[in-house]
Amino acid sequence: MTVRKDRAVTARVAALVLLGALAAGCMRDAPLDWPARDPGSQRGGVLRLAAPDDVPTLDPALSYDSRSWTYQLHLFETLVTYDDASRIVPLLAERWTVSDDLRHYRFELQPGVVFSDGSPVTAADAAGSIERVIDPKTRSQGAEYYRGIRGAAAYADGSAPHVAGLQALDATTLVIELDEPDPLFLDKMALLFASVLPIEYARRLGDDFTDQPIGSGPFVLREWRRGERLVLARNPRYRRTDRPFLDGIVEYAGVNSELAWLKFLSDEIDLSGIPTADFPSVIRNPDATGTLVRGPTLVTNYIGLNCQMPPLDDRRVRQALNYAVDKDDIVELLNHRAVPAKGIVPPDMPGYTAEVAGYPHDPAKARALLQEAGQGAGFTTELWTQSSDLDLKLGQKIQHDLADVGVTMAIKQVAWSVFLEAIRQPKTTPLFDLAWSADFADPSNFLDVLLHSSRFDANNHSFYANPRFDGLVERARTMRASAERTRLFVDAERIVVDDAPMLFLYHPISYVMTQKRVHGYAIHPLLPSRYMDVWLDPEPGQGASAGS
Amino acid sequence: MTARRRGLLRFGLAMGAGLVLLAVVGPALAPFDPTAPVAPQLAEPSPPGAPFWLGTDDLGRDVLSRLLHGARISLMVGLVAMLVTMVIGTALGLAAGYFGGVVDVILMRFTDVMLAFPGLLLAVALVAVLRPSVWTIFVVIGLVSWTGVARVVRGETLSLRERDFVLAARAMGAGHGRILLRHVLPNVAPTLVVIAALSTSGTILLDAGLSFLGIGVPPPTPTWGRMIQEASTYYRVAPWLMAFPGLAVLYAVLAFNLIAYGLTDEAKGTP
Repeated sequence: MTVRKDRAVTARVAALVLLGALAAGCMRDAPLDWPARDPGSQRGGVLRLAAPDDVPTLDPALSYDSRSWTYQLHLFETLVTYDDASRIVPLLAERWTVSDDLRHYRFELQPGVVFSDGSPVTAADAAGSIERVIDPKTRSQGAEYYRGIRGAAAYADGSAPHVAGLQALDATTLVIELDEPDPLFLDKMALLFASVLPIEYARRLGDDFTDQPIGSGPFVLREWRRGERLVLARNPRYRRTDRPFLDGIVEYAGVNSELAWLKFLSDEIDLSGIPTADFPSVIRNPDATGTLVRGPTLVTNYIGLNCQMPPLDDRRVRQALNYAVDKDDIVELLNHRAVPAKGIVPPDMPGYTAEVAGYPHDPAKARALLQEAGQGAGFTTELWTQSSDLDLKLGQKIQHDLADVGVTMAIKQVAWSVFLEAIRQPKTTPLFDLAWSADFADPSNFLDVLLHSSRFDANNHSFYANPRFDGLVERARTMRASAERTRLFVDAERIVVDDAPMLFLYHPISYVMTQKRVHGYAIHPLLPSRYMDVWLDPEPGQGASAGS
Repeated sequence: MTARRRGLLRFGLAMGAGLVLLAVVGPALAPFDPTAPVAPQLAEPSPPGAPFWLGTDDLGRDVLSRLLHGARISLMVGLVAMLVTMVIGTALGLAAGYFGGVVDVILMRFTDVMLAFPGLLLAVALVAVLRPSVWTIFVVIGLVSWTGVARVVRGETLSLRERDFVLAARAMGAGHGRILLRHVLPNVAPTLVVIAALSTSGTILLDAGLSFLGIGVPPPTPTWGRMIQEASTYYRVAPWLMAFPGLAVLYAVLAFNLIAYGLTDEAKGTP
């Protein structure tokens, strides 16, 4: 998924508007009542969170962003999910079988599971939920993942009443047949798009489902006041009795990262990112502030280079830019909350080791390459970027590094929507600042999705085309996970690094600070924030309270 | 003119002269390249002290050097944008006041419409449409701040055009152009000087505001407004990053406001 960053200008204007609203006398939070905790029990308590924006949607078919996914992960369940090592494990499906030709998938659902309204979770719900994502009327960005199911196209164009390849054999058996072998189909079933909804109910509510979502997850939606707060409460009908520990989760919206940190310091929220400015002093003694949680991501931040726009159509020029930028400096600017990138696939990708050398900082080599390409006198170009403080900071750093080898780069800051539109247009954005976050743990999610020449309209914003690379990636598409498949990706990545359709910058590392009483919070490289295993320090036992 | 006002005028002029001097020779005095990371570390601003007398920012750049280079940009934006403002405002004000009638109605209603727009929002919209550069900023600031000038000049012109010396000139067969340039304009001039001084401080502030919103003169050019903006996430851990450019803006605005204040009597005293 394309990663969007904090939008500074909007945030500042919003802050001004907010001040106005405060001055006008805004509504106080209505108090929420929660059950009292049993003294000494791990169970109970409420986790308090804050975020700059509201959650876009709670309808799993309609979201493609980590904010929405965080909450959907707690309201809904998919048939399969990832464990901590990013391996596929059962969730609603008890077990499954995959045919040798990778075209037939059979899922056996756990019997006796109910949605939060008490109705049973059936294979028909699972089939219907995927059909709903494929249905063009739903306008789901996830539809592309399920087009490979037999009959999906006929259903989408209205010539068939149902997707033929999606069959609920009985209440707990779902059979899926694909047109082509797909080694990644289980991963696609772990995406939140494939959440199992009570399908009759969901179809009846249509666009209103986001406001009154019903699922089988550990939590239910208790209250959602847009722009103010989102409140989840424990699902009393959740099938596991040992989870969740928390009675509820409250997230306050409209709190930027700076403010969230101040609220964290004054113990108004339980979890916060650490602002860049504060990070150096916090990291020297994290225990003084709370519990530091750290985790790698499957994210690559890069500067895309448009391979169709001269002089960037010359590979030597693109290589020169890669040599010119000092990635170690950039990592330092990020408080070392990142590792320098050598290629496009993140180093933490399970089962894959990139064997690429990357581009060390070497301005002399950069100048020599520019000379060779006939650009010895330098040239003028433009970096398109979102208007966040971080993007501007990195932009200025890159601007300085490129000036060092004679390349004059202007920085063009635009709004996110404008940016997304511009990078899709051919020959519009020579350099653009972007990040890609893996949707599933497979190298193809970077190499194929971002760089195959058939994806100019989708995510190949570099307009990169190399038939040799395409061939390798295409061969891997229908292959089962194997050493040979991994080999194909390593070879493909070598070609990409050599062709340099982007400046490979860094892979971020996530840092979150939690209050000391919060336990069980961990960062997952693929899944959004998970609060299912989080628990709070128990209330003092009776002995302690008797003394007071 | 009272002695106090004269004193303030002198003080303002001295401050202004200091600013001009800084803008001319400042960049040569800057100890470091204002765009280069010179601090030993990035991401952790150094506090003021040798060899970085005003500290360094998160990109490892020397604050003093950036401030000195920024002086030239800020003053240049202030003065050029002021000139644009004055030229547009004076031309429209003179035309409206002198010709009156339909011309006056059209020009003044247009001025009212422009006045109804919040200046900063209009500037933001214009910058978004035009390609960001120093020149864009000159033009944009000029385009959003001429209205006040036009109103004052029109008022002055309305009374001047009925004066005897104007009537005399007209009786002697002088054309509109000659009357406007030789007879009306020189008499509006004292007022213009006061407005110009005030407008300079206004444009310096507007430029800082635009830079603060991230749409001012684009990087790598150091500007005071952008320095304040970039420091805004660091105000708790490195307050000097915001304080020094903030004080610089305060100094420049104060200088031109004092000049304007001191000149007010001078303008009134002229017959």
